[in-house]
Amino acid sequence: MLFGMLDGVFFHLGPIPVDHIIVTEWVIIALIGLIAYFATRDMQMVPRGLQNAFEMIIIWTYDFFTQLMDKEHVAKKWAPLLTAFFLFILLSNYSGLLPGAAGISGYQPPTSNWNITLTLAMITFFSVHIAGFAEHGGHYLGHFVSPSWAMLPLNLVEELAHPLSLTVRLFGNIFGEEMVIAFLLFMAPFIVPGAIMGLSLLLGAIQAIVFTILSASYIAAATGEGH
Amino acid sequence: MGVALGAGLAVSIAGIGGGIGMGVAGGKAFEAIARQPEVGGDVRTLLFITLAFIETLTIYGLLIAFMLVGKI
Repeated sequence: MLFGMLDGVFFHLGPIPVDHIIVTEWVIIALIGLIAYFATRDMQMVPRGLQNAFEMIIIWTYDFFTQLMDKEHVAKKWAPLLTAFFLFILLSNYSGLLPGAAGISGYQPPTSNWNITLTLAMITFFSVHIAGFAEHGGHYLGHFVSPSWAMLPLNLVEELAHPLSLTVRLFGNIFGEEMVIAFLLFMAPFIVPGAIMGLSLLLGAIQAIVFTILSASYIAAATGEGH
Repeated sequence: MGVALGAGLAVSIAGIGGGIGMGVAGGKAFEAIARQPEVGGDVRTLLFITLAFIETLTIYGLLIAFMLVGKI
């Protein structure tokens, strides 16, 4: 295991070791779920408080993905998945910046392990092709031989390069940033890492946005006309 | 020694290319927004996608550097 530091294993769930990363993921999922539950528990026609905030997020993301994908029914179908990607990646990136997180041995944000980012990229990969088949049926296969049969190998390589680049981009950014912060903490424990931490607040948000927008544009390319 | 040098070169050469590319893309995007502020939203989205593609190449270099450092 090259990049997945497997120290700090709490217990084994069958053959799967449950370490810091999995527990952090569970906490993030529970947090998003709980907030969503409390936001929608007592829904009113005229929203206030948490429900209002959530309705704003939903409307904003639906508008954004509709604009990006050109097809409203496709955007409506895939916006929940993409918004969930965004929230999960954002909270995962920020979980490494919690005070005291660096003091726990073996702790790292889930997105700085390539197993997690590969899983997210595979979800995107399958979603793209499911979306393509759902939209165009068998004609979707024509997408791979456009503009001619000679392009088939190149198109296949391109399709396989999408999950690879999604994986490596997210993992490389967050892992690199964590390494820089760890190195600076080692060199100068006070004040100096604060600058990089402020930068990584921005980076974490940008990486979450980039992953979401790229997934959306792959789905848009698979469901769009023009092949 | 050679491995450490290779790790440094991998990330620095990848950084040079990515930096130039991002500078060109960002500069042109700002020019476009300054010329036509009403398309700012579209240009910003496209800029993010473009920068993400450019950045990936730099991150590949970083990944190779991490792999090389892990070999030391």
